[in-house]
Order: sequence, then structure tokens, then C-alpha cells
Amino acid sequence: MIKTYALQTWKFLKSLQLTIVLLALLMALVVMCTLAQVDLGTVGAVNAYMRSFFVWHQFSFLTFPVPTFPGAALVGLFLTINLVGKTLEIKRTWSKAGMWLVHSGLVILFAGEFVAGMMQVDTNMTIEVGQTVNYVQSYKNAELALIDVTDPTWDEIYSVPDSLLAKGGTIAIPGTPLSVKVKQYFPNAELSNLQPGAPASLATAGVGPSVAVVEKPLTSVDNEMNQVSAFVEPLAGGRSYGTWLASVALGAPQSFTHEGRTYVLSMRLRRQYLPYAFTLKQFRHDVYPGTDIPKNFSSLVQVMNPSRNESREVLIYMNQPLRYEGKTFYQASFGKNDTLSVLSVVENPGWLLPYVSCVLVSLGLLVHFAIVLRRSLKRRQDQKEA
Amino acid sequence: MKLLEKYLPWGSAILALLIALFMALPTGKARGFDVGGFANLPILEGGRVKPLDSLARNSLLVIHSRQGFRFEGRTIGPDEWILDVLFRPAVADQQPIFVIDDTEVLGLIGAQQKQARNYFSLADMAPHLEEIEKQASLAQGKKPQARSRFESAIVNLFDRIYLYYKLRNTLQLTETPGLAWEIQSLGTPEATTRHQALMERAHFRMLPPTAAMGPDSWQSVGQALAAGNTGGPLHPGLIPLAKLSAAYGAGNAEAFNKTLGELDVVVNQLKPEALGHATKETVFNRAQPFFIGLSIYFVAFLALCFSWIYKPETLRKTAYALLSAGAIVHTLGLAARIILQGRPPVTNLYSSAVFVGWGAVILGLITERMYRKGFGTAVAAAAGFASLLVAQNLGTEGDTMEMMRAVLDSNFWLATHVVTITIGYSGTFLAGAIAIAYALRKHIVAVVDPETDKALADMTYGIICFALFFSFIGTVLGGIWADQSWGRFWGWDPKENGALLIVLWNAIILHARMVGLIRERGIMVMAIFGNIITACSWFGVNMLGVGLHSYGFMDQAFYALTGFIASQVVLMGICYAPAKFWQEKPHGKA
Repeated sequence: MIKTYALQTWKFLKSLQLTIVLLALLMALVVMCTLAQVDLGTVGAVNAYMRSFFVWHQFSFLTFPVPTFPGAALVGLFLTINLVGKTLEIKRTWSKAGMWLVHSGLVILFAGEFVAGMMQVDTNMTIEVGQTVNYVQSYKNAELALIDVTDPTWDEIYSVPDSLLAKGGTIAIPGTPLSVKVKQYFPNAELSNLQPGAPASLATAGVGPSVAVVEKPLTSVDNEMNQVSAFVEPLAGGRSYGTWLASVALGAPQSFTHEGRTYVLSMRLRRQYLPYAFTLKQFRHDVYPGTDIPKNFSSLVQVMNPSRNESREVLIYMNQPLRYEGKTFYQASFGKNDTLSVLSVVENPGWLLPYVSCVLVSLGLLVHFAIVLRRSLKRRQDQKEA
Repeated sequence: MKLLEKYLPWGSAILALLIALFMALPTGKARGFDVGGFANLPILEGGRVKPLDSLARNSLLVIHSRQGFRFEGRTIGPDEWILDVLFRPAVADQQPIFVIDDTEVLGLIGAQQKQARNYFSLADMAPHLEEIEKQASLAQGKKPQARSRFESAIVNLFDRIYLYYKLRNTLQLTETPGLAWEIQSLGTPEATTRHQALMERAHFRMLPPTAAMGPDSWQSVGQALAAGNTGGPLHPGLIPLAKLSAAYGAGNAEAFNKTLGELDVVVNQLKPEALGHATKETVFNRAQPFFIGLSIYFVAFLALCFSWIYKPETLRKTAYALLSAGAIVHTLGLAARIILQGRPPVTNLYSSAVFVGWGAVILGLITERMYRKGFGTAVAAAAGFASLLVAQNLGTEGDTMEMMRAVLDSNFWLATHVVTITIGYSGTFLAGAIAIAYALRKHIVAVVDPETDKALADMTYGIICFALFFSFIGTVLGGIWADQSWGRFWGWDPKENGALLIVLWNAIILHARMVGLIRERGIMVMAIFGNIITACSWFGVNMLGVGLHSYGFMDQAFYALTGFIASQVVLMGICYAPAKFWQEKPHGKA
């Protein structure tokens, strides 16, 4: 009984009818995702429709969102099962070799998109000409950094990620006598000068007391950043160092001293330190003669990696990224009158899969067409002879 | 009569080719002036060296939406017009070249809609220029997508007036006696200010770099005068240019033509290859291969339509021969663009339309060779005509051989990804076009002919397979390019989604046919829907104005696209309705 159900389910999962329904669902999702990008921005729309198992909708008469449509992740999952089932069913004969190649190529392509969706990490590296940078920073996640700047030749950095700050409470900083009490946390906020007569700020030290903080809803629109902010109170040895406002929107450094050690306190985009460093030697922004039309952007960087005893120059330019130690560095943007270069940094363990897939599918289609052509030529020949 | 029937097909093709060749021949002089020779001079504009002729044509297209106009009982072409603008601004200001269609803008300049198109000269608009500028600067504060119809129209008019104003002040300031006087006045107190103004207003650079300068440093007249003002040597092109200005202004054709020879010598000395390259491009401009191709396709289509009622055999062959002639002109035009630009065939929306049409025509020619039923010809001629018409409309926005922005500056990827994906578009459109022909035929032809129907279905199926192959490979190659330049294989960008939709739709058709969900008619209906998907992904995503791929917002195109989609939906209905549809209700005798 169970066996028949299982067989029937399997038969359904690998049926071509299901393929068609799934492809149609995927088309509908792609259309919805494209249209939604006008309002939600690319990232928002992709998260809502493509990287989710269901599309959720908040009806005004309900207090909770309900799933209204299968998300592309679910459709993709079924499509993969369907594809694998179907591929296994293709006759293992030479005449079907092309179809085998095509469909296994597609399985790899889907796998690649899953890997990218789950494991890809996007960060960036911003360097000014002459500057040396040994970290990449996140586009949207922030961290509260406490930097011990007592030693002029060496900064000791302790950081608390925004996800931990969001939970609130008192967070002990390992390796230091400090702990930080989170008094209020804003995933996104707008900062302005505190007007006379307005309610006083929570902050008691640093620039905080003169700044008004208004909470904002999270944004996913492209080119807009969440201004992560928090009121925090550093505690050490049973005494408080006042309540400070830390925000990615604040530029000026704020610091306090505990037992002869000076700590700079700042909210900044989350950093990942690398075992190697890049120095920007030159940035070029070429234009076509007599116009502002950009012809090329390129960054000449010195890559220094003590662990590999490596120091060499690399030119990163349009369509010519640097793949290094599992990360890929692309020329993405620039600023400060062409003295600052922004490299986008991508870490995707599955980056090769689409390439493999492309080769397999192209080869498969060629083989298949060759087989079909041969068959039809043979048929014509037979007709002539008959 | 027999003889005519024998020679009509290839005779008409040869005639069409001869007409195309005739177009490429140089035109005569205008009022005795060698305007063609002047327009052949190379200039630097938009980042590339081109003949002045290209700039004149594109500017007139932008301002006037045509390449010529009637003035004082004569037709003035782009080459004569640009000379008037440069050297006889007082005359040029009187020429009615600004086309204004928007009724509210017409109201603003105190005019009424008289005919379908309303033309005004700068002099006509002179009293209202301040108001136009004021309204335009208000509208320019808004994003293009947020502008109302009036605001878009006023910004558009202002941009065209500004282009005209810049052209008029490129070689000499309108309010001064001219270039000769400017050269004489070097070193006088006010000169520096005027040179500065000339530099700011210059729309193009006409003076080739001298040996002392870098190979790309072409100079505008303002720059050359400023250099001369500080005691440097005077650019050797300045004096001939001043003489040309004086001769043209005074109506002295003989002196003008003679001085033109002097300027040619100077240009040849400074930049030997530029004049030759400019001449090639001028010939290409004059030949207008895509316009000629479009006309030949139209005649081919008409010939085929007539073949259904009169002399089927001869006229079908004639249509095929004409289609081949059109394809030859189209191919030569495409090849000329590739050589002139040094780029693969597709570099922007305009060239993609040219290439989609070319692909459809070649596919149609092959299909016709295989089936010989006339449908391949009909569909290819219609598709070639339609896509070149789209291209003609896209080409009114400026230089169609503009330079490629940094990310796109990669011949390898343009040649692989862009070309394959565009062939995929061609295939999907051709399949849709055959399906339309099938649908119309089913209702028009009374006799049931299953053999032809089957042949059409086979053609459509084969072309869908072809389109799936190219659109899939093209899409994946696009992903790989994106991985190389932006760091992600797939970003769900609107353009990528559009390409994916075409792939998915073609895959659905093939699988549905495999399971037996659809038969002949089903394939045809779905193939017509393929037209909608392709049109949306080709043009629709540009209208959304989001994503890395969006090349520009086009609002008039939005209405065209909506109309196209509606027409395809109607055709799907027609295709789905059985042929019996018309006979189902027996007509009662009154």
C-alpha cells in the first residue's frame, strides 16, 4: 500500500506534466520578481520571490502574513527532483547521449544557483590611492567596534556583530575587562541635530547628547543603506563610562579611557580581516576623447601575502577580475576625484558550476542535433531508395 | 509574355540591387557649393572620429526626425543644412526644422495644431525661448519616469534647441562677424572671453591633432584660438576654415570649393587615415542600406501577396528573388557597420533590431529553400520589414555607432553572448510570424490542406528548437559575462529575467508537445505568445528603468509595445478559433 503511494508520488514527481507546471510557475515568478523590482529594489524582490520557499502577502485584515504563491526556491527544488527523476529515466543508449548531457548540465546549473543562494558572500574593499587595506567589509551588516588604540603601532580590535546587539542585554567583550550594555538598538534610523525643547537623548557622553535619533523601517532599495544605530553603555570594573550613541551615520571618532587604555568606540560596516593586504598603487578612469563616456576603469594593486611570501602587482579592470584565495575582486566603483577605488568582493564556492553546465549543455545540444540530423538524412535516403 | 515570366524574378532582384547601388553614388553640388565634400571632413564627436555628414544626419534626425526638409522651394539635405547652421546662422534660424507634436507645447509657443506635423524655425520660437527654458528646467528636476507628457515634450524640445544652439556656435560665435574676424582679433582684450565661450559651446572638434599633440587630441576652434592667443603657432586648419566661412556666407561657390581642397590637404597631412575612414562612412550614410532593405522587403511581401491571386509560380519566385536582394543589401549594410565600427554586429538597441531582422530573413530564406511554399518568403519579408522599421525609429535618437561604455567594451562578449541571444530573439519571432501566417491562412483559405498545415507546424517546431538552443546558450554566456564583470552569474536583473522567460517558454512548448498536451494548433498559439514574451524582454525591461542592463527609458515605445501585445493576443484568439468558426451559424435566407 505504502509502496504504491510512494511509487505514485515518484511517478508524479518525475512526470513531464509536472515539468510544464513548474516551468510555468517559474515564469510567473520571474515576471512578478521583475515588476516588483521597481518598488522593492533588486535585492528585496529577489529575496521575496526567488530566494524564498513561499511568497508571503500581508493582507490588511490579518495580523500575520500568509503564503500566497510558491516561491522560486520551492519550485526550483521540485524542478530539480523532477529533472533528476526524468534524467534517470532517459534511455541509456547512445541515441540519447545528447539529452543526457543537456539534462545533467541543467542539474548542475540548478545546483550552482542553490549554492550561490545559500553560500555566496558579497563584500567590498574600498581603497584610496597609496592606502593599504587588509579587510573586506559588508554592504549592509554592521558591527560595534571597540578599538584599543593605546599602542601607537598596533590597534587591537574587538567587535560585536549587529545580530548580537539586536538581542540587547549586557555583552562581555572577551579579552578585555569591558562589557557593553545595549540600551536601545535601531536596525535603521535617521540622525539629526537635536532641536531645543525636544526630549533629551539617552546618551550622556560623546556627541550623542546633541543628536536626535528617529527609528526608520528597514530598507532593501538598491543604493540605500540601513543606518544601524545603538545607545550603548561600556561597563568595566563596576563603573559605567556613560551612555554613548554609536551609528554608521556618525563619522567622528569617540573614545574613553579605562585603566590607562584608550578605546575608540564606533559602529561601522562589518569587517572581515584577511591574511593578506592590498595597496592601491594607481587608479585609472579613462574616457573617450572629448567626452565623459567612460572607456575603462582599472586599479593597479600590490598584493602582499606574508604567509605565501608573495608580493606582486595585479591590474584589476573591467571584465578582468582577480581571483585570489577563494575570493574574487572586481572593479566596481570609484570616488573622491578618482583617487578612491571600490572593489566588490565575492566569495562563492560554486562559481565554477555554471561554466561546467554551459559546456555540458552546449555539447549535449550539439550532439543531439547531430543525431537528429543524421536520422532525418537517413530517412530521406530511405525514401529516395524506396 | 513567356519571356517576361522567365526573367521577371531575377530581373527584379537585379533592378533592386542597382537602385541600392545608385543610392550610394555621390550627390551633386548644392547651389554650386561642394557641400558633400565639406561634409566628408572628419571630426571628433561623441568620442569617435566620424565624417561631419554623420553628425549632420543624426542631428537633423534628432531635431527634425527626418534627414531633409523643404525650404524656399528646394529640398535641403543634411550636408547643406549643417553648412547653413555653421556659416549662415541667420538663414538657418529661418528654416522650419523643429518638429513639435505635443499640443500643450504648441500652446506654450502660441501656435495651434495645423497638420499632423508642425514645423517651426528658431526664429518662430524666439519670443518664447525664455519660457521654454524655464519650463524645461522645472521638468528636468524630475526623474524621466516621473515626468508628465508635457514635461517630457518640453525637455525634449529644449534639448533639441540646445543641440542646435551648440552646433551654431561650434566654429564661430553667432553674435560676432565670423571666424576670420576672430583670428584677426587675437590678442585683443575681449578675445579670451570669447574663446572660452566657443570652447564651452563647441559640439564637436574639427581640427585634427598636430604633431605636437597626442594622437587623440583633436581641437575645437575655441581651443585652437586660445592656443594661438597665448602666442603659440596657429593651427594650420584655422585659416582655411575661416576662408570657407567667409566664402559660404558671401555665396562665393568657386572660392569655397577651392578652399575646401586646401583644408583637405591640411587634414591629410595631420591625420592621413581619418579622411579615408570618413569617406567610407559617408558612402555608408548615403547608401542607407537598411532603409533600402526595408523597401525591398516591402515590395517582396507585396509580390508574394499578389502571388496568391495572380500567376502564383512567377510571382512567388519574384518575391523570393526580391527577398534575396533585400537580404544582400541588409547583409552588406551589417558588414559595413561591423567594419566601420570595428565591433561585432550588435552593440545597442538599434543594431539589435537590425540584427534580429537579418537573422529572421536568413532563417526565412533557408526555410523557403526547404519547403518552397512561399510562407518562408512571406514571413521573412514581413519580419525583415518590421524589424528594420523598428530600427529606423530607434535610430532617430542620435549616433547609432556610439562608443561602448566601460563594461560593454569587450568585443569577445559582444560577439558571443549578445549575438547568440539576438539570434534566439530572431528565431522566436520567426516562429511566431509563421504561426500568425498559419492562423490567418486557416481562416482565409477555404480548402483544407493538411499537408501545408503540417509543413508549417514542422517549420515552427524546428525554428523553436533552434531558438531554444541559441537563447539558452546566449543566456548562459550572459551569465558568465556577468560573473566576469559584476561578480555574480545570475542576479535576477530584468534583462536577465527577460532572456530566461524566452528560454522557459520555448522549453515549455517543446515539452508540452512531447507529452502530447498540444498539437499543431496549440504549438501555433504558444508560438504567437512567444512574440509577446520576446518583445517584452527586448524592449519592456528598458521601460522599467531598473537594473544594470537598462539602457534608457522610452515612453512612446511603451504605447507601441502595448499595441503590439494586444495585436498578438487577438491573433492568438484567431489562431485558436477553429476554421469552422465562420460557418458555425448557418446563414438563414432573409
